Amino acid sequence: MEPKYVSQEMRDYIIEMGAETITWCMQCGLCTNLCPWRLVPGETSEKFSIRHMLRLGQMGMEGFEDETVLFACSTCGMCQSNCPRGVKIIDNVRSMRASIVGAGMAPANLRPILGSAHANGNPWSGPREKRTAWQEGLDVPKFGPDTEYFLFVCCHSCYDPRSTKIARSIVKLLKKAGVSFGVIGEEESCCGESIRKVGDEELFQKLASSNISLFNDRGVKKIITTSPHCYWTFTNEYPELGGEWEVIHYTQLLAQLIEDGKLKLSKEVTRKIAYHDPCYLGRHSGVYDEPRKLLNSVPGVEAIELERSRELSLCCAGGGGRIWAEVPMGERFGELRVLDAIEKGADMLTTACPYCMNMLLDACKTLDKQDVLEITELSEVLAEAVED
Amino acid sequence: MEKKVGVYICQGCGIGDALDVEALKSVATDEFDVAVCKSHECLCHKPGIELIKNDIKSDGVNVVVIAACSPRVMYDVFDFGSDKIVERVNLREQVVWSHPPQDEDTQMLAEDQLRMGLAKAAEVELPEPFVAEDLSKKILVVGGGLTGMVAAREAARAGYDVVLVEKEPELGGYLRKIYKLPPATPPYEKPEDVKLDEFVSEITSLDKVTVYTNATVASIEGAPCMFDAIIVQGSKEIKERVGAIVLATGAVPYDASKLEHLGFGKYSDVVTIQQVEEMFLSGEVKRPSNGQPVNSVAFILCAGSRDPEHLPYCSSSCCVEVLKQVSYFKENNPDCTVYVFYKDLRATGVYELFYKHLQKQKVFFIKGDVTGIEDDGSGNLVLTAEDNLTRSPIMTEAVDLVVLATGMVPTTAFGEPYKAPTSEEGEEVEEVPPDTILVSNLLNLKYRQGPEIPALKYGFPDSNFICFPYESRRTGIYPAGSVRSPMDYVRAIDDAAGAAMKAIQCVELTSQGKAVHPRAGDTSFPEFFMQRCTQCKRCTEECPFGAINEDEKGNPLPNPTRCRRCGVCMGACPERIISFKNYSVGMIGNMIKVINVPDEYEEKPRILVLACENDAYPALDMAGLRRLQYNPWVRVIPLRCLGSMNIIWIADALSKGIDGILLLGCKYGDDYQCHFIKGSELANVRMSKIKETLDRLVLESERVRVEEVSITDYHKLPKILDEFAEKLEELGPNPYKGF
Repeated sequence: MEPKYVSQEMRDYIIEMGAETITWCMQCGLCTNLCPWRLVPGETSEKFSIRHMLRLGQMGMEGFEDETVLFACSTCGMCQSNCPRGVKIIDNVRSMRASIVGAGMAPANLRPILGSAHANGNPWSGPREKRTAWQEGLDVPKFGPDTEYFLFVCCHSCYDPRSTKIARSIVKLLKKAGVSFGVIGEEESCCGESIRKVGDEELFQKLASSNISLFNDRGVKKIITTSPHCYWTFTNEYPELGGEWEVIHYTQLLAQLIEDGKLKLSKEVTRKIAYHDPCYLGRHSGVYDEPRKLLNSVPGVEAIELERSRELSLCCAGGGGRIWAEVPMGERFGELRVLDAIEKGADMLTTACPYCMNMLLDACKTLDKQDVLEITELSEVLAEAVED
Repeated sequence: MEKKVGVYICQGCGIGDALDVEALKSVATDEFDVAVCKSHECLCHKPGIELIKNDIKSDGVNVVVIAACSPRVMYDVFDFGSDKIVERVNLREQVVWSHPPQDEDTQMLAEDQLRMGLAKAAEVELPEPFVAEDLSKKILVVGGGLTGMVAAREAARAGYDVVLVEKEPELGGYLRKIYKLPPATPPYEKPEDVKLDEFVSEITSLDKVTVYTNATVASIEGAPCMFDAIIVQGSKEIKERVGAIVLATGAVPYDASKLEHLGFGKYSDVVTIQQVEEMFLSGEVKRPSNGQPVNSVAFILCAGSRDPEHLPYCSSSCCVEVLKQVSYFKENNPDCTVYVFYKDLRATGVYELFYKHLQKQKVFFIKGDVTGIEDDGSGNLVLTAEDNLTRSPIMTEAVDLVVLATGMVPTTAFGEPYKAPTSEEGEEVEEVPPDTILVSNLLNLKYRQGPEIPALKYGFPDSNFICFPYESRRTGIYPAGSVRSPMDYVRAIDDAAGAAMKAIQCVELTSQGKAVHPRAGDTSFPEFFMQRCTQCKRCTEECPFGAINEDEKGNPLPNPTRCRRCGVCMGACPERIISFKNYSVGMIGNMIKVINVPDEYEEKPRILVLACENDAYPALDMAGLRRLQYNPWVRVIPLRCLGSMNIIWIADALSKGIDGILLLGCKYGDDYQCHFIKGSELANVRMSKIKETLDRLVLESERVRVEEVSITDYHKLPKILDEFAEKLEELGPNPYKGF
């Protein structure tokens, strides 16, 4: 076997891209053991070890650029939040991807996505002018100088037909509670969270700066996000680029409104509902209680706690750009999640993230369990519980 | 001393309910004619003790036989002064707690236990402590490095005079050869200054410490509290009488010239960690090959360590020493590229923070074996290795310097093996491998067995790796620091204090005529009935502690203060002329003789169990404590060490009709657990010769069995005892019953 070359230059390049903690890793392997890929069979599971990938990065050694390895991580954060050395594993993954994507070597499946984000400001190949199509039939306020909250709707919920229901439900709830909010519309761009995660640093910077100047021009002070991904990047990545606003996920706001008595859930929903913690709302942002409070406020709901919940929640596999990945049946984390819910006797599995909903819907269909388990987004359940 | 025996049978802890105490009493009064025999419901409480004390006072009882709990408990309660003999009969743990109550066989067991206790009480005499004249409590510390200096300081602080001998012109040892010490203060990221001069002047200014530099130990003769050392300083000869010795001569680096496979000697830019210390001490941090600055360096840990071809062991300190040197280079030049090749990075405790800190300095830590070092053609060195973490061979970029972290070799590991004078031709040759003693010219002991301390493993002069740190196999001599075991600075400091404490314990107990360890406080010692000695040298050769010298005729010359009172000499002596006041061949023989052996038609076999009192006997007690049950045929006699077992007991027991003999001793061999190092091994060697006795008696060899038992093996005992009983049943009764 020919020796592989250790390259300080490559290692330092990866560090420069943002993998500042990559040398902290002592290779204990806890990350690999906690990785959800260990829970499923298949080629990716066999090839991808986050510990090994980090090792290659530490040594600047070739091998990590293999697409099956480099793009496997769903950035769920299970490893990172348990790393005994405090290694920022996701930053390292992102930087290693950036070292490849930045050199123009994005994997084929991601090229149309990145192209669309570049051209249309969204990764879903939706024309910019259709960004507000989801509002049809709803009277959605425009964001203006006197509006308190800017409602930033995730691109997924702007374009994906099933997902638009999330945006519509949230609008219904906010209006019911009398919240002063508005939408900017066509000029909004994708938050870029997942774009950055797949390693297109340049595109992320472009999207972010376009959003920052747009929001700041319009006098945005407070933002409600529909997706935890937008919430996370606005909170954690935008501030250092000049985007500093008070950002809140819709579940947090609604929970507060219910507590303040401004929103009343009065219609009964007699269902057994399990809540799936989205990684970016839970582990990454520490929001665990508000969605549960909301669910418990719905009359008639029997809330079910899944075995792997809160800090130990199992990833849906939609983060880190994996929402665009083709994964063979039987290797999808979402399938495990659907089975988790069925095992606990739930008849509905709800979540608070459009990506999670998307992944869980797919899994439920693949398993042909639609008759047993309904997949929803929390806002939909809540909207059902308010008087029309 | 005229003996008056009083027997006291306790009825507490279930003894009274399980046994017929009256019948037990009649064993004492009818069979042994004891003057006083009483029972009490709870002997260890005040009324019970008062009862005994009263008899001592008014009736003149001076031999107190307590038939109650195990001798391992309540020994402080049943202490009636040093002029009274106390004999304990274990009725609780080994009779009623491990056998059914109100049972004929349990009763017989109890009665035999009492018989054996009474037989022993009849023989025991009060020991008289051995106290010689002109005893010294001074402590000699050999080696003036870190360990030696700390040992000297600690002993002096405790009030003892110390003689510190150093072969170099100045104190300091290895500390004098290093640039800095590993981090010792938060955040544990920076090496510390050595501050050696301060430390040395602290030692030299101590009134109680006499320092001889440029000095070596020419010879030491004698025994604890009576060691006469001759120290040579140039042309001067100094005599010192000392009580105990701390050996702190340290270790030396493994000879790097044996590491040609790692490029040493082949490339001048391959150096050792010692050379790196020299570079930084002198400020000349340059490549040896061309005098250019060092901008990249690769460290190879375990260079020749944990390697069966070189040093099989871990030297324990090199990982942190290398981390320290990495930070030298990084401090010198933050852009210096550093590789560290390791097997395991053993940087424990706060050193983990140091390791983490250096990881953040972008050091390449590579887990795996270096497979090659080559010149890349421009005079720089390229290393190839098997990287465990990527499961692939790797190649580094070229480096300016390669540093080998060589391990420690104790200073005791040098010199030719010493050959003790052997037995005369035609005599039986001992089969236990002799101790390894290397003539390393450190202590130059005038011991018959050799001039230095026997090595345990790899030349380290340790004694028992589990139980007794610092205790060498030479009583009164305590190795500490890296001569004893590979260790770092911090551990050496602890070690020095520990050895100083041991030395103090030695001089204090020895001056009172007491054994030091492990039978701390024992005042008995072996006495030799010289008229019958045949000069066979078995005792001098078998004593694990070199306590016995010999004169030119081969007569043994015992040194009681070197003795650990194990009785190995007693077990070795074919003439049975060695005995203790309270432990002898005859005494144990008499205990065996009083065991009641029913005839073969009664179908009540008898098994003699000779149990080491350090592990096997307490394990039997623990079995009782847990109420584990085993057959009632066993009759247990505790031995100081299985090595004190004399073959005559086996013959006595078998010819008396006892069906089988089980020896319960400690684990022996490389990882021995024998408190007296070789006792259980010697017992095994003697047992291999028992066949002759059995053949003579026309008995099956299966009737005698040896088992290794550690204190934690108590749960295995019922099985061991019962399987042996079953085996004996298969063999049928001993045909000598009734003779």
